[in-house]
Amino acid sequence: MAQREIEKAGIPTIIIAALPPVVKQQGSPRYVAPRVPMGANAGAPNDKAMQTAILKDTLNCLMEFDHFGQNKPLPYEYKHN
Amino acid sequence: MQSQLTTVPGMRSEVFAPTTPPPVWTPVTKPLRESRVAFATAGGIHLKSQVPFNPAGDFSIREIPSDTPSSELMVTHGGYDNSDVNKDVNAMLPIDRLRELAAEGYIGSLAPVLVGFMGGGGNVEKFRNETGPSIARIFKNEEVDLVVLTAG
Repeated sequence: MAQREIEKAGIPTIIIAALPPVVKQQGSPRYVAPRVPMGANAGAPNDKAMQTAILKDTLNCLMEFDHFGQNKPLPYEYKHN
Repeated sequence: MQSQLTTVPGMRSEVFAPTTPPPVWTPVTKPLRESRVAFATAGGIHLKSQVPFNPAGDFSIREIPSDTPSSELMVTHGGYDNSDVNKDVNAMLPIDRLRELAAEGYIGSLAPVLVGFMGGGGNVEKFRNETGPSIARIFKNEEVDLVVLTAG
């Protein structure tokens, strides 16, 4: 929802979502979805390599996506416990 | 053209039917290495020195200077398991990773102020009409080119 307001104000945006169906329903213009639980959207805690990879992939998707609602699952997986 | 499903104008389902809002889109115009990047998280991240969010519902925002050490950040959010963020705030607001990407030139620069808020419910109208636009205003003033968020 905040994403849409930033996009409306003229800045391109992308969400890293743990619950992609939710952000889709709310009208997210662009989103990516690593396989992570809510609260570790940007990657597993203390896993610098995963966090860097998710952030770089997200930024690259932001550059490449060319239509509203475009999204991509990201190939990183983390589970609690 | 929508086909005529009813003869009563404006009639709506008596069952709540969620609808997806209309498209919003701003095209990217600059390469990453020339772009100023900002970050916003709905994960309830704030400075330890700031007033915590109200876990029962809070539409206010916290400005987080992008040079803040990650050790000075914390989470207040009643809507998800905070254990990963308590171990490493970068799991939700990857502030250390963003500084590294700026230092290596992968992105042009990091915006001076990032934003934390507490998503996941609360007053939808307030989020749409106040929270969202005030975050957008901060980033417009900072002349931000791209925004990444963690939410949902």
